[in-house]
Amino acid sequence: MLKTVYWISTLCLTLFAGTAHASADLPSIQRGAHIVAEVCNGCHSLKYIKYKDLLSIGLTKDEVNALRGENGLGDSLKAQMPPDAALAMFNVVPPDLSLMAEAREGGPHYIVELLTGFAPGADGQTTNRVFPGIKMPDIFGIAQADPAARKEIEQKAKDVAAFLEWAADPQAEARKQMGMGVLIYVAILTILFYLLKKKIWRRLKKLER
Amino acid sequence: MKTAERLLGWIDARFPLTTVWREHLSEYYAPKNFNFWYYFGSLAMLVLVIQIVTGIFLTMNYKPDARFAFASVEYIMRDVDYGWLIRYMHSTGASMFFVVVYLHMMRGLLYGSYQKPRELIWILGMAIYLCLMAEAFFGYLLPWGQMSYWGAQVIVSLIDAISPPVALWVRGDYVIADATLNRFFAFHVIALPLVLALLVFLHIVALHQVGSNNPDGIEIKEKKDPQTGIPLDGIPFHPYYTVKDIMGVVGFLIVYFGIIFFSPEMGGYFLEENNFIPADPLKTPPHIAPVWYFTPFYAILRAIPQKQVGVIAMGVAVVIFFLLPWLDRGIVKSIRYRGTLYKTALGLFVAAFLVLGYMGTQDPNLWYVNPISRVCAVVYFGFFILMPLYSRLDKTKPVPERVTG
Repeated sequence: MLKTVYWISTLCLTLFAGTAHASADLPSIQRGAHIVAEVCNGCHSLKYIKYKDLLSIGLTKDEVNALRGENGLGDSLKAQMPPDAALAMFNVVPPDLSLMAEAREGGPHYIVELLTGFAPGADGQTTNRVFPGIKMPDIFGIAQADPAARKEIEQKAKDVAAFLEWAADPQAEARKQMGMGVLIYVAILTILFYLLKKKIWRRLKKLER
Repeated sequence: MKTAERLLGWIDARFPLTTVWREHLSEYYAPKNFNFWYYFGSLAMLVLVIQIVTGIFLTMNYKPDARFAFASVEYIMRDVDYGWLIRYMHSTGASMFFVVVYLHMMRGLLYGSYQKPRELIWILGMAIYLCLMAEAFFGYLLPWGQMSYWGAQVIVSLIDAISPPVALWVRGDYVIADATLNRFFAFHVIALPLVLALLVFLHIVALHQVGSNNPDGIEIKEKKDPQTGIPLDGIPFHPYYTVKDIMGVVGFLIVYFGIIFFSPEMGGYFLEENNFIPADPLKTPPHIAPVWYFTPFYAILRAIPQKQVGVIAMGVAVVIFFLLPWLDRGIVKSIRYRGTLYKTALGLFVAAFLVLGYMGTQDPNLWYVNPISRVCAVVYFGFFILMPLYSRLDKTKPVPERVTG
C-alpha cells in the first residue's frame, strides 16, 4: 500500500515539476530592472546584484551603461542615497532588496501587495494595509491614482516583483532546466535498475527451500 | 585473472578483505521478506555520504565569521560554479536526513525491531539520532540568517533556564555572537561528523551480529538448513539486497532532486523566509520556530507554562525512546501479530507526533495551539508510560513458523 502511495506521489511530484517549469516572463523582468534601478535603487541597495548581472536578463549593454552611470560594470547596485542620510530621513536604513522576494512569506506576491497596498487613511495620511506604519512613501502614487493610472501602477508593481524574484535567485531558470534533465536521467536509471533487480531476484525461485 | 587472484591473495594475507566481503555481504543472510520500510536504513547512509561530500565543498567557500558568513553563502549561491546546487543539495539533504531517519525509526516501532536481542542496535541508533539533532542544530546557525540566530538564541536560552554557566560556556559570549559561530562551525564540520561516522559503524556492527528483524518479527536464525547451516528464510545480502536497495536509492533521488531543482525552499519548511535576512541581534523576528524536524519537541516545550519543566519534558520526550526495549512487554514483535491495544496506542502516538509537529510551526498566540499541544503531549508520554501495561494485556495473534510473503 505504502509503495503505491509512494510511487503515485512521486509521479505527481514529477508532473508538478514539469508545470513549475513555466519559464519566467523576461519582458516583465526587464521592465522591472529599469524601475528598480531608476526608482527603488534611490534608497534601497541590491548588494548581491552587479550591473553586469543585468546583461543576463537580456538588457543591452547600452541600457546597462545608462543605468550604471559612473559605476563600474562589476559594481553592485548600491543605494544612491547614503545609508546615513537615509537613517536621518526615515529613522531606518531601507532594507537591501537582493533577497526580498525570498525573505517574505508569499515572496513576489507579497511585494505586489505591498507596493499596491497604499491607500488614503482616515487622518488624510497615506497608510499601507500590508505594512501599517511603513516608512516607505507611496512611490508610485497609487493612493491618489484614478482607475487607469491604477492599472498601470499594478503592472509596474508586478514588474518590480518579477525582477526581484529573479534577483533573489538568478540561477532559478538554469536550475529548473537542469532539473528536467536530471529527473529524466534518474527515471531512465530507475527503469534499468528495476529490470536488473527483477532479473537477479528471479534466481531466488530456483533457490526456493 | 591470475594476477588479480594473486593480488587478492596478497591482500587477504594482510587484511581480511575476502572474509569481510563474505561475512557482511555475499554470505550475510538477510530475511527474504523485507518490505518498503526496509529501504530507509541504507538511504540514511546515502544521505550521510551526500551531506559529508557536499559539506566539504561548501566549506571551501564558506566563511565562519559573523561579518562574512551570510554574504559567503550568497557568494556560493551566485558566484561559485554550481554552488547553488551544492548548497541546495546540503540544505535539502538536512531535511531529507530527518525524513528517512523518522521513517527508519517508525519501522522499528512497527515491527518491534528494538526488542531482544536488538536492544543495543536501538540504543546506538538513538545515539545517532541525538547526534544528528545536534549536528542539524549547529549547522543551522552557519548561514547566519535571522532564523539561524534567533533559533540558536532560543535553544541556548533553554540551557540557560537550567544552568546559566553552561549556557555561557556553550555560547562563548553573553549573546549568540562570532565566538558562538566559530565553535558551532567546528562542531558541525568535524566533531559531530566523526562521532556520527563512528556510531553508524557501531550500529551496523551490532546489526550484523544479530541479523535484521523482518516484517513478521521472526528470528530467521531459528530455522536453519541442517546441511548448510543457512537460515531457510535468509537470502544473501549481496546481490539480492544490494540491487533492491539501489531501487530505494533511485526512488529517493527522484524525490530529492525534485525538491532541489523545483522547490528547494519547500514552501518555507526546508529554507525559512526569515533566514534570507542577515542576523540582526537587535531585531527579534515576530515568530521564532525551529525547522520542521524539531517542531514536535518544540511544541511540547511550549505547551508547558513553566519553562524549566518544559525544558525537562522536551528532553525526556527525546530520550524516553532509549527505554523502549524495556517498556515493551509484548510477546510478539511485529504489528502484524499484535492486538488492538498496541495498534491503537501506536496509531494515537503517530497522530500526536504529527499534530505536535504542525503545532510547533504555528504561532503560539493562536487560541488552539497550546490546548491541542497539551492533549497531544499527554498522548505522547502516555504511549511510553502505559506501554508496560497495554503491551502485556494486548491480545496477540499466533506468530507463523516461517516468514510470510
